[in-house]
Amino acid sequence: MKELLIVSLAGIAVLAADVIKFRKAVLPIAVASLFSLIFFCIVDWGRNENPMDNNMLLFDNFALGFTAILTFISLCWFLITTEYFGNDARRTDLYALTLFSICGAVLMVSYTNLVMLFLGIEILSIPLYVLAASKKGDRLSNEAGFKYFFLGSLASAILLFGIAMVYGATGSFDLGIISTASTAMSSPTPLLNAGIVMIFAGFAFKVSAAPFHFWAPDVYQGSPTPVTAFMATVVKGAAFAAMFRLFSGTFGSFIETYGDVIAIISALTLIIANIVAAVQTNVKRLLAYSSISHAGFMLGAILSAQNGDPKILLYYILTYGIASLTSFIVLYHVSAYQQGAEDFNAFKGLVKRNPVLAGAMTLAVLSMAGIPPLSGFLAKYFVISSVLQSGYLWLVIIMILTSVVGAYYYLRIIIAMFTPLENSGRIVVSDFQKYLFLLLSLLMVGLFFAAAIPDWLY
Amino acid sequence: MLTEYTFWFLSFLAVFSAFAVILSRNPVHSVLYLILTFFSIAGHYFLLNAQFLAAVHIIVYAGAIMVLFLYVVMMLNLNQAEPQRTSAWAKFLGAGAAGILMLVMIAVIRKAEQGTPAGLPVNAGTVENLGITLYRDFLLPFELASVLFLGAMVGAVYLSKKEIT
Repeated sequence: MKELLIVSLAGIAVLAADVIKFRKAVLPIAVASLFSLIFFCIVDWGRNENPMDNNMLLFDNFALGFTAILTFISLCWFLITTEYFGNDARRTDLYALTLFSICGAVLMVSYTNLVMLFLGIEILSIPLYVLAASKKGDRLSNEAGFKYFFLGSLASAILLFGIAMVYGATGSFDLGIISTASTAMSSPTPLLNAGIVMIFAGFAFKVSAAPFHFWAPDVYQGSPTPVTAFMATVVKGAAFAAMFRLFSGTFGSFIETYGDVIAIISALTLIIANIVAAVQTNVKRLLAYSSISHAGFMLGAILSAQNGDPKILLYYILTYGIASLTSFIVLYHVSAYQQGAEDFNAFKGLVKRNPVLAGAMTLAVLSMAGIPPLSGFLAKYFVISSVLQSGYLWLVIIMILTSVVGAYYYLRIIIAMFTPLENSGRIVVSDFQKYLFLLLSLLMVGLFFAAAIPDWLY
Repeated sequence: MLTEYTFWFLSFLAVFSAFAVILSRNPVHSVLYLILTFFSIAGHYFLLNAQFLAAVHIIVYAGAIMVLFLYVVMMLNLNQAEPQRTSAWAKFLGAGAAGILMLVMIAVIRKAEQGTPAGLPVNAGTVENLGITLYRDFLLPFELASVLFLGAMVGAVYLSKKEIT
């Protein structure tokens, strides 16, 4: 509960700081609130609080863990995008919107009532629609916001329809009551079945899984790059955590019924995203498709929710979040230096022009490709082994094959960076940002060794 | 008996006007038919003994939102606008998906149990009961909705505000 209060009050405090013309305080308020959020997650860890407010929220270890990593990624996001927001007079609004969005993410990982889930998704999404369109003069950004808003509203409506049907079948919004009512049935009744499928479709849209992914490349490409980084990491992570909470606990007894559906959607996502990504020339669009393909992997973690534990998903979201955040922000710096060019040529000679950015980008894409001494490898390994335990060998084969395709287009970025370029200027980033990129790179390597130590994660 | 006739009449009206919304060529007619749809759905709420919901539905949807719609339609002067051309392929896929959804819904509702859910009193929709539910059981979501509205408000102001330097 205090987690929720901190982040929503921080959003209001940011707005208040703008009103009293104290804009300098805006970033410190946001950063301090996120730090205290992580602090309280650590303090409350293992305390197993009782559900509160008529079973609306439960800050168990699951919720605290996901809140902590999503907050950590948001914290890095706030610190690393200072250059973009800079001295922009409107940055307070954007910071406030981002904080409200994080508030929605906290709700989505801690809900024990479907009403709270829906509220969380809306609180997360509505500020995002505005953030996507926040570059007001840019046509692509406007299009992104518009598209995201319309399709997102439709997906929310479908999700709400599903929730209504689950209510009709079980007579409650409470996850505990739904769980007992549904385990009492030997197989789900048609009404419950349809409800669960519609909820799943709504989620699949939010995480951009295959048949519902058409919005993602356009929205990711059109939005300002730092906003894209936020969408691809925090938002996706929150949606997956919410999905895990629902499909492992409440509807966990029907996993045989839905296992094949989830596996097919996961396979479709992987195949479509990786093949389309391989032919992209625009790096931002390529990274958008790569983000879709990672959604396919994370669906694998949902699939094995029954015998796996949330740690696999948590580790995947953390490693993918760090790598994805790094790659998008490097892309931002590179394209900001060259009048918004986002193709492979913009990356030429980056090693000479800024070794830190090139190094961070190399590690990030290698981590996303799943190359061994980086944490992305272990994340993929854990997912694959748990999917194998659930008995989906064909999905594992698709995962491995599409990872090979993935390695191809990730390597294209690296090759571009190491291609020498004559008479090019240096790309300058501030010292503070340089250290942040180094920290993120260290984390990509460090998380590998942290998780590789036996009996720690497994 | 009268209730049943009213139900059928309202249902027919709702379905008919909903079709008219998407089939009429003139956007202003569409909006007016939409108001008719809202009124017939509000009538259903009355039949279900949910007077407060019916009143709010009419005030919010038929009142505020529809007036806004009408203004926008008239201001944008959509009457002269060319109808959007969509490819036959997209139309086919859309019709297919919607058709499958309708099939599933019919199949689901045919098999669903009829009647009131257990533990739900007959007068669940009255103002008194709604108030008790909203401010006791669902107090936290009710309060949190304010964060949602604040976010939406900040966003709306941000998008419509003139650039300041």
